[in-house]
Amino acid sequence: MRVIVAILGVALFGAAKLPVEHAISETHRQLHFCAVDLNLDLREQTGQLGFIAALSGFRSLVADALFLQAHVAWERTEWARVLLLFRRITTLQPRALLFWDMAAWHMAWNASTAALNDRAQPRLALRIKAQREYFQLGKDFLERGIRNNPDRPQLYDALARLYRDKYGDHEHAAELYAKAALLPDAPGYEKRFAAYELALCPGRERDAYADLQALYKSSEKERFPTLLRRLKELEIKLEIPPDERIPD
Amino acid sequence: MNEGHHAFSFFRVAAITGATLRGLARLKTFYVLLLFALLLIGNSIFMAQMTFQQEFQVLKDIALGAMSVFSSLLAVLATARLLPQDIDDRTASTILAKPVSRFEYLAGKLLGALLLLAISLAAMSALFFLVLTVREQWVLRETVRQMSAAPPDQLSEALRLVRASALNPNLLAGIAIIYVKACLLASLTLFVSTFATTSIFTMIVMAFVYFIGHLQAVAREFWLQTHSAGWISQTFLGLVALFFPDLQLFTLTDDVVAGNAIPMTVLAQIVTLGLFYTGFYLLLAWSVFFRKEL
Amino acid sequence: MTEPAVLLSNVTKIFPVPFQRRPVVALRDLDLEVAAGQIYGLLGPNGSGKSTTLKIILGLVTPTRGKAQVFGRDSDRVASHESVGYLPESPDFYKYLTGEETLRFYGKLCSLRGARLKNRVGELLALVGLTSAAGRRLSGYSKGMLQRIGLAQALIQEPALLILDEPTAGVDPAGTREIRDLILDLKGRGITVLLSSHLLGQVQEICDRVGILANGVLVREGSLSDLLGVENQTQIILENASPALINKIGDLAGGSRARLVKCGPPQTSLEGLFLEATQAPGGKGGSKPS
Repeated sequence: MRVIVAILGVALFGAAKLPVEHAISETHRQLHFCAVDLNLDLREQTGQLGFIAALSGFRSLVADALFLQAHVAWERTEWARVLLLFRRITTLQPRALLFWDMAAWHMAWNASTAALNDRAQPRLALRIKAQREYFQLGKDFLERGIRNNPDRPQLYDALARLYRDKYGDHEHAAELYAKAALLPDAPGYEKRFAAYELALCPGRERDAYADLQALYKSSEKERFPTLLRRLKELEIKLEIPPDERIPD
Repeated sequence: MNEGHHAFSFFRVAAITGATLRGLARLKTFYVLLLFALLLIGNSIFMAQMTFQQEFQVLKDIALGAMSVFSSLLAVLATARLLPQDIDDRTASTILAKPVSRFEYLAGKLLGALLLLAISLAAMSALFFLVLTVREQWVLRETVRQMSAAPPDQLSEALRLVRASALNPNLLAGIAIIYVKACLLASLTLFVSTFATTSIFTMIVMAFVYFIGHLQAVAREFWLQTHSAGWISQTFLGLVALFFPDLQLFTLTDDVVAGNAIPMTVLAQIVTLGLFYTGFYLLLAWSVFFRKEL
Repeated sequence: MTEPAVLLSNVTKIFPVPFQRRPVVALRDLDLEVAAGQIYGLLGPNGSGKSTTLKIILGLVTPTRGKAQVFGRDSDRVASHESVGYLPESPDFYKYLTGEETLRFYGKLCSLRGARLKNRVGELLALVGLTSAAGRRLSGYSKGMLQRIGLAQALIQEPALLILDEPTAGVDPAGTREIRDLILDLKGRGITVLLSSHLLGQVQEICDRVGILANGVLVREGSLSDLLGVENQTQIILENASPALINKIGDLAGGSRARLVKCGPPQTSLEGLFLEATQAPGGKGGSKPS
């Protein structure tokens, strides 16, 4: 009898706590906490160890161990292994910006350069093709990172740099810097960098000039040498009247 | 002879708590685990040379991970043997032959275990903060040295980034949640030990509960939202959702390390839920132990 | 009339055994009364229900039927434990505590504190002869010392009833003598002692009343003098009696030249009585938990 009463008591408590747990889980989801779904995809992507780690709540430790392995693989220029490891790492720790950033850097900067300079591949076209594939891999990492962390400016910033330095796509770079600038805790330079990139987009010089001028007027601290130089270049390009120009 | 007997006395509970803490602090298991955790945290200072963000991330991961593992393990291992040992030695008989209620006895035992967990976590936290502070100060000095020619606002931004990556109040929230999870596990272990036949049985059951607890959220959401599964699956999922605690709610170390701020309201909710669980399992333990024949 | 120290009324205890059809009956309709201020010996073979009886009195086991009271209070109420001290068989305490710390611990459980606790601990250590070993951990105590510290913790709150389960088990003869003297001393102070023992000679020396359990039933109960007296026999002690006189007395009843010193039923030994009572039909001991 006592056993039955105890079981009923537990069940009643369970029924009472269910909505509370559900509500807290929802809050966590909105705050993007614990953003790892325990499903077969996770099992496939992370392997058995990673899956167990996710089950047990020790994701961070396993991810760090894999990160150290990735570091070693990078030193050995084992790019396929670096890619595989970072896929697991970012799956286990989707809210760790560092891992997305490092993954993209390894692919878009390190692996792509290695591919371009690969002496084992005599054909330049194929080396460039491989380089571009690595750019894409880097971009994928950052885009997935942004989807998992939409409120953090760092990955927008990293993707903007990738567009700027690897694709020469200043328009996309400007858009991303501008998005980063709107997010909480964004560093002050994001707005400046958005304007710099916009200035390099054909047909967008007037918008860039307006942004740079607004920054110039907002504070003395914003009057960096690069900003002043860009303003001067745009004043000449846009034939701004002398009385509207910034002093030399 | 004393004056009228009081049904509940913190003084009696405190006496049992003190004796329990002293006994647990002598466990070899405790020292081995603590040494391992401290070594892990201490050695993380010698990680491979990386950027400071990488280094701080890895340091925090290892430290908080070690604290989480250690406190969860200790919560189960230390509590699993509390009751069986006393019953086997007949010490429980001498204690309960005194004017001590079974609830006071259980509460004293559990509080002793919780106090041990608190002291252990405090020791690990102190070492962790020391290591983090030492590294942070080194990185700050290096940053100032390397950016000596940079404009002041860039330097201050760089220093702000370093400080934000190192110590921040979120870490305390993370440690608090680790402790609350350990309290829940200790209380649940005490409940299981009231009807378990051996300590090994208790530990094995708790290992299962630990894993299932981390899956409870999946089972719960599926049970609440999906009605197309067969009745066997629905029943199984319902049982998991009702009878197991959602341990994922208490596993926020990854987000803490990633720098995600834990709002005070969320922290308060988790801590309150954890304390409710702890209290509920203590009551469950009492309901079983109340009429246990010694 | 003062209420009895212990009163068991129609107490039955049945232990269910998993996967077996027949449960184990440890005690069957037991009526037992221990008057205040006496030394009562509870005897019985292994598995007779002695320990179960003591545990029911202490509230550690709940009777299936019947009632148990200590000085008028139900034994399952925690408040009834205020007047009870208990020393289990082969006690084991927290070995990491010293003798003094052990007594302080049990004293705190009885809500003793401050100077009162300190003085009481000192008194008891002196009483059981462990003052010099007070600072030593119990892991370094001999069996006899453990027994003595166990006795001390049982007395910590100055109980009116002391329950001792095999108090001299494993103790050397000198230690046994000390414990015996201590029990007699406690009786002199008005403390009721209920003890369970296999050592019949020791029980015979100190107990006022005994109860003999067999198969969960109280088969004999009463004062030692009543129980050990043999019926239908008269003992005559003569001084300076000649063999011829003894022969005449054998034929006659009544006076002679010998001085009649004592006349009364001759005594058998407690051991003899114990064996006779427990080996009679229906009284054979079984493998019951106690």
